[in-house]
Amino acid sequence: MPGMRDVEVRSRASEALILLVILAVSLPLITGYSLLILSGFSKSMVTNLDPSSFYPTLMNWILLLQGRTAQFAGIRVNIWGIVANTLVVALGVSALVTLVGSLTGYAVSRMNFAGRKHIMMLLILLHAFPGSVLVVGVAFIYRMFMPPLEYIRFYSFFYVIVARAAIEIPMATWLMKGFFDMIPWEIEWSAIVDGASRFRVWWNVLLPMIKPGVAAVMLFGFLAGWMDLIYVRTFLVDRTLATFIEANAEAEYAYLPLVAVAGTLYLLPTIIFFIAAQRLIFTISVSGIKG
Amino acid sequence: MPKSSVFSSKALHGFKQFVRSEASRFLALALFLVAVFYIIPICISVYMSFTPLRNWNIDRYAGIFVGLENYYRFFYLLANDPSVKSVFLTTAVFVALTLAVNVLGGLSLAIATFFVNERAAGGLQLLWLLPRMTPIAVYSLIWYYFFHPSSIGTINGILYKLGLISKPIDIGQGIIPWGAWAIIVFVNGLVGVSYGMIVFTSAINNIPKELVIAARVDGASNWDITRKILVPMLRWHILYVTTWQLLSLLTTYDHLFLLVKWGLVNRDYGTTWSLYIYNTAFLTGLQDQGLAAAAGVILVIVSSILGFITLKLMGFDKLIKPPRGDL
Repeated sequence: MPGMRDVEVRSRASEALILLVILAVSLPLITGYSLLILSGFSKSMVTNLDPSSFYPTLMNWILLLQGRTAQFAGIRVNIWGIVANTLVVALGVSALVTLVGSLTGYAVSRMNFAGRKHIMMLLILLHAFPGSVLVVGVAFIYRMFMPPLEYIRFYSFFYVIVARAAIEIPMATWLMKGFFDMIPWEIEWSAIVDGASRFRVWWNVLLPMIKPGVAAVMLFGFLAGWMDLIYVRTFLVDRTLATFIEANAEAEYAYLPLVAVAGTLYLLPTIIFFIAAQRLIFTISVSGIKG
Repeated sequence: MPKSSVFSSKALHGFKQFVRSEASRFLALALFLVAVFYIIPICISVYMSFTPLRNWNIDRYAGIFVGLENYYRFFYLLANDPSVKSVFLTTAVFVALTLAVNVLGGLSLAIATFFVNERAAGGLQLLWLLPRMTPIAVYSLIWYYFFHPSSIGTINGILYKLGLISKPIDIGQGIIPWGAWAIIVFVNGLVGVSYGMIVFTSAINNIPKELVIAARVDGASNWDITRKILVPMLRWHILYVTTWQLLSLLTTYDHLFLLVKWGLVNRDYGTTWSLYIYNTAFLTGLQDQGLAAAAGVILVIVSSILGFITLKLMGFDKLIKPPRGDL
């Protein structure tokens, strides 16, 4: 009997009814996402649900990828640069979160040391700490160590990545701890008896065994960096897709379907990951999310 | 030897032991980042709340000590400035209503998907995870168009088609305060529902199946099973999700930021305490970091008290090993 949930005596009719109700409740969600994506393929916004305003076109995508934010006027933005900036932040956060999370997760899962309980408690408390208060202090440090003008762009990238990754450490640690907890002790024990150091055991024996876990933390770190708005708009000198949308959505000159296209472009990794890694995303969400 | 010095020498000893242990090398990087990006910023925020820091002019203002002036100012504004008063009223309403949406919505989704086949349940749960995984700017954009005050807004489109309105209505700015509140609760509610849904779903999966089978054999309906088995078994989880979400909502601001900045919702009735702190510190024209820090310190105190109650209520050991199964 595969995956016994409710028992098989439930009636088909009541199941269909429940499905219908959930779908009805989910309708705003489905509508909102669909209309945004659809508007990007139309000459004018279709968000008012009026089919007569839908003129299919790929023009918006062409305009955006050429970096033109208005249909005719000459404002040009380097959209590929903006995408690259967003990617740099996302990849940087992903790498750092994965490194720190797998180190800390291992220590918390496998080692008994003085203060273990305190560190775990600290991680939980930090997870619930008000972000808006934090960002004020983090901005103070940012300004205290401001380098000469020519290095500021580099500094701001570095700072955004490290500061944003730091926020994800508690969650990444819990996630990795969960994966390390699943490996039987005997494997590690035999490696240690053979004379391997804990670092070697961690790197050569355990990490290869939890590749899905490492992938999950990487993906989760990537999405955290990719979707960020506040840290990027507060610290980064260069623009990302988030700040591009922030600046253009309500601007007087904005050609709305173009902003919708930018939004869809920005949404692409989320959608790709959703299709490619459904199980992984569920694991991530189960292991620790802040609502 | 007095008691306190015994304790401190013990703590010192423990610290030395930790530094010498192998684990400290695994933890060094994390502890460094936590120190630089959590502990020190918190201390700095407290310090800033005693300075007249404005416009991020650190050289000029950060060395001046003004005592409790920022706190007096904060409470004075709270008592006299309608736009600050409204922020706190909004915070209370927002937290209470969104919390209800999050907990009840998550519970309903978890229970409803329990009664349908696994494939459909998985698909629906993924759909409800989408808001949390969506870039914040895109998520805000979606609802910006949905509630847009002009004729391109989805709500306006629907109401117009139904013949209920003759010209577009401005929900977030025109219907004050409930229109603005409805939008921020709706938008954040959809993000938060998934947390409860996940915790409750894994808890339900851990309920012994014999209970459900026995009830079915006795002819129990879905409603009976929900009321007599599922909800009573989830009591502890409901408490856990409620307190955790309460803390999270009190500190939420990123999903509200653009809605306010784009003018979709009224500034006074769309801003919560957390967002007020961020905007006071960073938005052009305000840039009053001393005041923001004071408001922040008070928020930290309030949420620490709530967090402490949460830990007490839950028992810390239970939190270390959260009551959910491995999914």
